[in-house]
Order: sequence, then structure tokens, then C-alpha cells
Amino acid sequence: MSDLVRISLDAEVCIGVGQCELLEPTVFVLDDDEGISMLVGSAHLVPERAELVVNRCPSGAIRIAEDASPMGLESTQIPDG
Amino acid sequence: MSSTTATPTDITSPSLYLHGIPHERFAAIRETPGLVWHRYGNSGFWAVTRHGDVKEVSKRPEVFSSAIGHTNLWDLEADALKARRSIIDTDAPDHTRLRRLVSKAFTPRNIRRWEDITRTIASGLLDDFIDQGGGDWVKLVAAPLPIQVILSILGVPISDAEFLVELSNHLVEGTGDQPSLSADAYGNKTPLRLLPFGSPASHALYSYGERLGSLRRDDPRDDIVTLLARSQDNGSLSAAEFRNFFHVLVFAGNETTRTAITHGAMAFAEFGDQWDRLMADPSLVEAAVEEVIRWATPVLHMRRTAATDTELAGTQIAAGDKVVMWYASANRDPSVFEEPFTFDIARVDNPHFAFGGGGPHFCLGAFLARMEVQVLLEEMMKRRLGFRFAQPAVRTPSNFVHGVLSVGLEAVIR
Repeated sequence: MSDLVRISLDAEVCIGVGQCELLEPTVFVLDDDEGISMLVGSAHLVPERAELVVNRCPSGAIRIAEDASPMGLESTQIPDG
Repeated sequence: MSSTTATPTDITSPSLYLHGIPHERFAAIRETPGLVWHRYGNSGFWAVTRHGDVKEVSKRPEVFSSAIGHTNLWDLEADALKARRSIIDTDAPDHTRLRRLVSKAFTPRNIRRWEDITRTIASGLLDDFIDQGGGDWVKLVAAPLPIQVILSILGVPISDAEFLVELSNHLVEGTGDQPSLSADAYGNKTPLRLLPFGSPASHALYSYGERLGSLRRDDPRDDIVTLLARSQDNGSLSAAEFRNFFHVLVFAGNETTRTAITHGAMAFAEFGDQWDRLMADPSLVEAAVEEVIRWATPVLHMRRTAATDTELAGTQIAAGDKVVMWYASANRDPSVFEEPFTFDIARVDNPHFAFGGGGPHFCLGAFLARMEVQVLLEEMMKRRLGFRFAQPAVRTPSNFVHGVLSVGLEAVIR
């Protein structure tokens, strides 16, 4: 579990392509009203999947959070820009 | 600009493209260190031809602006830019506002809902093509498929598909130097410089969209035209933004995928072994879709304009300089693509820029295009349809789109 990394999503940068939801539907969901992606749950992924999602996001809105907090402490739904 | 480099050869003359993309010229520019300054009109532009440089320009939208000047090679006067501005020619926050209005309709999840309709349309077109033993692939399959699908998504009557393809063809002419329409065609009275591609066909497309918007106001439906009309009514879109949004969705939603489907069929006609390979292993279809799209590169370039002094590939760029990303070149960059001139449907690493180099202007219809091409390939496989050239391709004289006006293909059941 400690190997997981936390994902952050910049709501200002996201343009709602939906690539992230396609790759990791348990972490990302496209909000149909806002037209952008949202993080769901604890937003943690194994590093390989996290890197894939970051690299495939065309807008550059998705990042691996620096403060890799341990999984399960609290939800991190708030985009941290 | 701060320095000039001699252009080895011209890459902008529309007639050059009658013979296909001038790949040798692009290779010469790619191999020149730094950026090459290419003369154009009274000034010029920085030709960005390497994959990595295209990516960098795409991902620095705050420096490489879409809203200054124009996103085509030529500049527009301020009033023309204002009249013609679409989601393509905007920066944040306008771009973000426009994009988010429609983004949800084009996500992978929502595009999947259109797969069955696409399959039905593709099946009918392919069956007709086969019944006739082949013919003009553009007219019979490549043009009708994407226009019918995008019209279904937008909520435009499919019975108007042929008219809207005709308008799209005239718009493409506007990117070359041989427009066929008189200025007052389609009852146009607007000065051409205020119309996208300087074409009276844009007036026709504007008028069509406005009429349809009025119809949807009276009789709202669950479609994009209704969404755009409502957005205009509640103030989130101006009248000009409505017109241009409709225009770009119809045009970009059909012309580009038509080009991909045409170059795909031509590639399978030329490289029959790749078609046999796909039919022998249909699990390669997703890789084949990406290779068809890389091979086709329907949009050859997009321009940005430097908002500030900056540096790229070791070259100083001054505020106001035009910076042109040549996707046609980036998609053949040998430092990224192994044997870039080989059509390889099983290419494993294929980070092509046919949908742009990333950043906020990443193609809105990327997943729609992929779905359409994949469904078409699957239906072709089901029918074991292969091709032989019957009539050579007639190409669009344009440095902007990689269009094919017609190509005769014989249907060969393999």
C-alpha cells in the first residue's frame, strides 16, 4: 500500500477530454455538468498507472502529488492546483 | 524576430501539396539545428518541424497564443478576427469556457453511445461500395460516414449531409489559392474577410446554424445545437460564438475524419500485406487505427503567435513572431518513430500528433475520430474488403489540410 502515489487534478487546466476516466474509472469521473474531470475516492494509484495517466492527459491537468500521503487517511478530492 | 535563417525550400505553396506532403523539404528543415525562419507574405514564421518542439509549443499556451493574429498562416485584422473567432482561435479563459460547454459530448464514455449508429451507417455505405465493385472512395464512403455521424451527434438532419459536405469542400478551397465560388454565392453579402476561410460557404454554414438554432429554441432536443442555442440565450455564448461554434463542429467534425479514412484506404490499397496482417489478427485494430491516423495527419499545421519574447530549440523568438507547428513533419520525425515512412499497423509506440501536440487545444473529436475509423476497419474486415487502385488520388491544393478530393478504388474481396 505504501507504494501508492496520490494524484492531483488542476480544475483550472482540465478541458474534459475524458482520457483519465477511460484509463482509471475508479479514480476519475467526468462531471457532465462542469465538463471537467473530478477525482473520486482516495485518488491513489500505483506509480506505473499514475505515470501513464499523467502522460496521456493532453491538457497537463493531472499530476502526481509531491506530498505522497499514505493511503486511507483522508479523501483528497480538492484539486490542489 | 531576432535572427533569420535561410529557408532551404518553400513548404507553403498550396500547389506543392497536389503531389502529396513535401516530405524531403520537411526533413531538411527538421535536420537544421534550431528553428528555421520561413518567408511568408511580407514577413514569415518560425517553422517548428520536430516532434519534441511541436510538443513544447503545444504545452506552453500562455507563451504561444492561439488568440493573437490567427491560427492560420496569414494574419487577420482585428474586426475579422473578432467576427471569425472560434474555439480554435482562443486562449484561456475564453477557450476553457467554450471547450467545457461541449467537452462532455466527446469523452470516450459518451462517444461509445454513437458506436451502433456509426456501425449501421458504415455497413450500408460499404455494402453499396462492394455492390458497385468499388468506385470513388471519397464520395461513396469517406465523406458520407463522418458527416452523417457528426450530424447525428449535433442534432442536424442527416438529409442535409450532402449540402454540408459541399460547403465543407468550398471551405477547404478557401485554404488554397483556387476558390471556385463568387463572393455572392449562397446569397452572401458579408465581406469575405469577415468569414472563416474567406469563403461565402461560411456565410451559408452560419445561416444554416442560425436557422437550426431557432428551430431548436422552439422545439428543444437532447442535442448539441439545442445546448449551443440555450447557451446563447443564457448569455454564456455571444451570437458570433454560436455561429462559429456550429461552423467549426460541422467542418472539423467531418472533413478531418474523411481525410483519415481516405488515406487509410489508400494505404491499405498500397500495402496489401498490412491489410492481410490485420485480417489475420484483428486484435491489432486499435494499433491500426492509430497508424491510419498518423499516416493521414489530416491537419498539416496550426499556427501560434508568441505573446512574449521566448526561446525554443535554442532559437530566440520575439513577441509577435508567428510559430507554426507542422504536424505533418512531427509525425514523420525519425527520432520518435522507427521507420517513419513505413505504414506499420502494429506500431507499438505511436505518439503521433495528428490530434495536435497536447495542451488545451487537443482535438475535441479525437475519440470520435478513433471510434469511426475503428468501426469502419471492423466492418471492412467482416466483409474481407480489400482494395486495388483504379483511379489516382486527386489531392486538395492546400498547405493546411491533407485532403483528397477523389480516389478510385476497386473492391477486392480477399
